[in-house]
Amino acid sequence: MTFSLLQGLRVVELGESVSAPYCSKLLADMGAEVVKIERPGVGDQAREYGPFLNDQPHHERSGLFLYLNANKQGVTLDLETPTGREILGGLLAQSQVFVHNLHPTEMDRLGVDYESLRTHNDALVMASITPYGLTGPYRNYKAYDINLAAAGGICEGLGSPDREPLGFGTPEVGYFAAMAAASSIVIALLAGVGQHIDIAEVESMAGIYNGPEALMAVYQWRMTRRTGHHALDFPYPNCILRCKDGYIFVGSPEGRQWRTLLEVMGSPEWAKEDRFRNRTAMNNEHADEVDGYMEEWLTQHTKAELLALALKHHIPLAPVRDFGEVRNDESLADQFVAIERQDTGPVSFAGPPYKLSNQDALPPRPAPLLGQHNAGIYCDVMGYSKEELVKLYQTGII
Amino acid sequence: MNQDNENSGPGPLSGYRVLDFGWVLAGALPGMVLADMGAEVLKVETRQRMDYMRLGRPIIGDEPDPEQHPLFHNVNRGKLSIAVNTTKPGAIDLIKELVPHCDVVVENFSPGVMDRLGLGYDVLSGIKSEIVMASISSNGQTGPLRDLRAYAPSIGALSGLDSTMGYEGERPLGLKHAYADIVGALHSVFAIVSALHQKERTGQGQYIDVSMLRATVATMGAGLMEYEMTGRVMGPKGNYDPAMAPYGNYPCQGDDAWVSIAVRTEDEWQGLKTGMDNPAWCEEERFSSRYSRLENRRDLDGNLSAWTRDLTPGYITELLQANGVAAIPVMGAEDRLFNPHFKERGLYSDIEHPSLGAEPVYNIMWNLERTPPSIHRHAPLLGEHNQKIFGGLLGMAEEEITRLEEDQVLW
Repeated sequence: MTFSLLQGLRVVELGESVSAPYCSKLLADMGAEVVKIERPGVGDQAREYGPFLNDQPHHERSGLFLYLNANKQGVTLDLETPTGREILGGLLAQSQVFVHNLHPTEMDRLGVDYESLRTHNDALVMASITPYGLTGPYRNYKAYDINLAAAGGICEGLGSPDREPLGFGTPEVGYFAAMAAASSIVIALLAGVGQHIDIAEVESMAGIYNGPEALMAVYQWRMTRRTGHHALDFPYPNCILRCKDGYIFVGSPEGRQWRTLLEVMGSPEWAKEDRFRNRTAMNNEHADEVDGYMEEWLTQHTKAELLALALKHHIPLAPVRDFGEVRNDESLADQFVAIERQDTGPVSFAGPPYKLSNQDALPPRPAPLLGQHNAGIYCDVMGYSKEELVKLYQTGII
Repeated sequence: MNQDNENSGPGPLSGYRVLDFGWVLAGALPGMVLADMGAEVLKVETRQRMDYMRLGRPIIGDEPDPEQHPLFHNVNRGKLSIAVNTTKPGAIDLIKELVPHCDVVVENFSPGVMDRLGLGYDVLSGIKSEIVMASISSNGQTGPLRDLRAYAPSIGALSGLDSTMGYEGERPLGLKHAYADIVGALHSVFAIVSALHQKERTGQGQYIDVSMLRATVATMGAGLMEYEMTGRVMGPKGNYDPAMAPYGNYPCQGDDAWVSIAVRTEDEWQGLKTGMDNPAWCEEERFSSRYSRLENRRDLDGNLSAWTRDLTPGYITELLQANGVAAIPVMGAEDRLFNPHFKERGLYSDIEHPSLGAEPVYNIMWNLERTPPSIHRHAPLLGEHNQKIFGGLLGMAEEEITRLEEDQVLW
């Protein structure tokens, strides 16, 4: 789905993998025109990531790339060459926003810095998404998703005591940096001040995602210790348990929810014991034992039955769904959009997570083939002739 | 933006005013971000049904105290508080009188509550057509899951997020953090500022319905596309990346000390070998290519752990980064609080709060270099700004406001 809140903006993205691409996807889905720059012949590394349609690897059929780059136009450009960098400057002169996720050492090497680029456009808003930020002792450190999860505070709390701390199951950190960058860009535009925005991926975790954790250190709270599927210092239940056909999240932060849940379970005798009167103590001291009692009942019911009970009795039960179940959830059907491209056939993916009242939502366009819009951007927008375009192609610039 | 706004701080959004009904976490965060960016944020709350985040164990003494929760202080800093008891006659009208002075309304009550209070978008846009209103909910304002009691971990379960979170082949563990609240709030901030951008150009207002479930689903690109492209569903795989080995957290010298290491390119593999001083096992056939290292990743992890075990995370990080390899310690809260990198970049500030004194508050770290966000004041006491707002904006007399406080209307 595409809205038009940001219509009239032109955004240039030089992005790889998740962070900068999801940032410009957010902008594109709001109606901005996004021009994605990729390396000639190679492209965004998400093109290699897959998953591939029917397991046939092909750089035009990587699912992650197709999802993150829908609604964009694609050009190729070799920034290793002075001509390539000059073309970038020319494109930025006709744009309002530039977002990239080059590593700081690459920015230094290629001379892609705000001071140089603003000579082409004084009002330029530029967002740099880097692993640890543009300043500080870790500026030049390398990082992948697991490293950012480790430094950002995901791993310390995920997993069992004495076993390896875990990160997210799929690469997620980039999405948080992307959301920070996209909002910051629009806020800079609202302020009407051309400027450089420095977004550190690690701080999108350590800051807004995980910032209150500093308090855990100060006040010695234990909610985020690595304690398997239970978290300390919450009232029981607040965990994922087994049911008949899989797993279910069971919560009850409010006392009345717990009382209702016990009634629905047939008011079992064990729950009447004195030692289970305080639910936080029950969680911290007897969780494994109580899991057994709970699962005795839960394993007699399917996820669907438990969800129906949750809706009927207003208790917080939620099935742990796999991605097939999510995709086939009819209540989410209108979030998913199918995009048809000649070489892939229809491919469905998630659209924006908001509904807007005063907006017509248009269907999105498919992700660009590598260099698909070279002529459209370089000739029609920037005024290069067809002969010049051919020469740029022949010399490997585009 | 409103011209009568004298209370907003400096910052890129100074001049904007927000009527903030958001509470607990997902609802409080958008207002927090907008306040850091310089907007004047009026937190509308009440003693009649207190923001849960004000409750909880007191830090000092044994009596519950709504002014003592550090989490509340973090996510409500920079806001002004007006206490309005919507169960009292006249209270709703007072809120409506504030609407013409505001640009944005944020709320995350259960779906239907704002309409029931007579404060739905239809009413508010009737008062001010350019108003931008965002409703944040677990599962959207419409649809079969609308009324499901759901919290962040519920959304972690429903969205597929939890299905990959765990050790390979074992039970899903679930996250300790409120992923869905934060993703929902951040998408809301983006939609709100985008709507303001359109409003500035066209005068068009907007109602935004954000579902935390849908927001989480939007960040499940790899997992959902795996199903879409291949028909397979993922399960827990531990620390795993389809293109990298080694990739994970490795045990170190020290109490529960770990270092994360990830290697993608051949250059990085050579850097790792150099860092380890070229042990013989690296030359074995089964570790000779990216492909074979991924195939034999468990053996590789074993060998690498044998090396990391006798060294500290900090030592390994410096050594490997000097050789071009991505490595960093697995940090706990304390590690980040005292870390020189985060210190230099200003991840945390100490804010003086009237009831608890100096306490750490995290910064959002959205570094707009010429118009940076900042924390303008401590989180408000409940109803602290009744006089300032109802007097200043609506021109009500001091005695009238005091009377309404005594009558438990502004309460």
